[in-house]
Amino acid sequence: MRHIPEDELHAYLDQGLSRSQCVEIESHLAACASCQGARDSIAALRDRTTALLARLAPPRAFPASFETLRRRAAVEVSARRRRLHRATWAASIVAAVAFGWTANHLADSAASTARVTTPVPALTSTPAAVARQAVSNDSRSPTAEPAGSQGAENDSTAGKPVRRPAPGGRRVANAPVSQVALPPVVAPTELELSAVDMPPASEFELDGMWRTMSWAGAQEEAGDKLPHIDGLPVVQVQVQASRQGRQPLMVVAQQLSSGEVIRTIEGPASDVSHLLARRTMSDPDHTMSRVDSAPQRTEAHPGVGGTMAMQRGDRMIAITGALPPDSLLAMIRRLNAEMRSK
Amino acid sequence: MTDDLEQLYQTTYTAVVRFLYRKVWDAERAEDLAQEVFVRALAHQPEKPRAWIFAVAANLARDEARAAVRRKRHLTLLKADPVAQPTIEPAADTLVEHDERVASVHEALNTLTPRDREILLLWDAGLSYPEIAAQTGLAVGAVGTTLARARRRLVEAHDRQNPSKGIHAAHS
Repeated sequence: MRHIPEDELHAYLDQGLSRSQCVEIESHLAACASCQGARDSIAALRDRTTALLARLAPPRAFPASFETLRRRAAVEVSARRRRLHRATWAASIVAAVAFGWTANHLADSAASTARVTTPVPALTSTPAAVARQAVSNDSRSPTAEPAGSQGAENDSTAGKPVRRPAPGGRRVANAPVSQVALPPVVAPTELELSAVDMPPASEFELDGMWRTMSWAGAQEEAGDKLPHIDGLPVVQVQVQASRQGRQPLMVVAQQLSSGEVIRTIEGPASDVSHLLARRTMSDPDHTMSRVDSAPQRTEAHPGVGGTMAMQRGDRMIAITGALPPDSLLAMIRRLNAEMRSK
Repeated sequence: MTDDLEQLYQTTYTAVVRFLYRKVWDAERAEDLAQEVFVRALAHQPEKPRAWIFAVAANLARDEARAAVRRKRHLTLLKADPVAQPTIEPAADTLVEHDERVASVHEALNTLTPRDREILLLWDAGLSYPEIAAQTGLAVGAVGTTLARARRRLVEAHDRQNPSKGIHAAHS
């Protein structure tokens, strides 16, 4: 008669066998004294192991309330979504940069083959001139109306664009802009620092030494390199303390008629991407939940912040703001064209 | 699902802490990790939460052990630096506080192969044969064989170290 192997007796005592196996073992045990003895010694060994291991218990265990864990889990889930969002966001930046590079490349090659160069009139850099420039673009922003005393001056210059698109390849990048509907721009007003409710500082953290400057001061320092969208009132200009001999990193906040604040950023490519990366880190949570709850609608959702960046040589320009990506894209193309012409 | 987890938390938290404690040998750390395991379970909502919890606990303990090795290496470097002399491995201090009885089982457990030890600890944490098999990749039929060997070796190793206390322990 076959005796029960040791491991099967362990499994039997550990309730690790099927019902039919148990029945088989039990019927054998009932008739086999030798296996009964083996079972008893294995049972003792089992108890002994359990007793030994019981000594290896931590001195104390204070379980946290389950509610605490629930809250931690909620934080973890949102952090996971944020990481996912950040990855998507980073991918879109890469795509935008790649797009910008390709556009630059195409524009440059077009310029070199066309060899048609028309001198681009230098843009005067006074706020009034910029405002006039905005008026010249008014054909696509019907809501814009001259305001106040500034309006009279604007009226006299309306219809006389300060700057016309050059026919050469240098303006190629500007071409699609007119086809993309820009969000309604605010009535041309003086480009000056005005008191507007700024988003909380956490939304846009700047590290290092930053100076908030007046528009005039910033223009004196940066000249035509000051990144901005013509025609929108400037809310704030921030300039990072520059390293010797380098054009500084600049952030210009401007307000749309809808009240949204957009920021144009121009600076050394590495500094700008660093700044943008920091911004994603501090992205507020609610943006994430919106992305998750309606992924297909996020593009059109006006509350979702977005960023478009474009690399120009070793410099980079970027626009951030709570606008649909196509608006941002149109703006950055326009910005790129304008910066290019200066 | 969350209610199930809450119930599981009430019934298995201590077992998870014990399971982790036997791997990281630091009560506080074991509790932190156990809570982390349940937080992750809440975030993931696994289908078989009990098995999942012990699998994640085992992974966390493994990561912890690797980190401990790195820390130890770092401490060795620090000790070589006379200025950093006061920094002494905290785990060593805690271990000294363990009473002899605990230390002897600890040593006995260390004589087992990692796989035998893992299966013994999983069994002691209350996992069933199929759960142990699923987690370790062992066939269900092999769990009994492994447990038989692990139990025998643990007791033998312990009795070898404590020849006089072995009999006493057998009856305690």
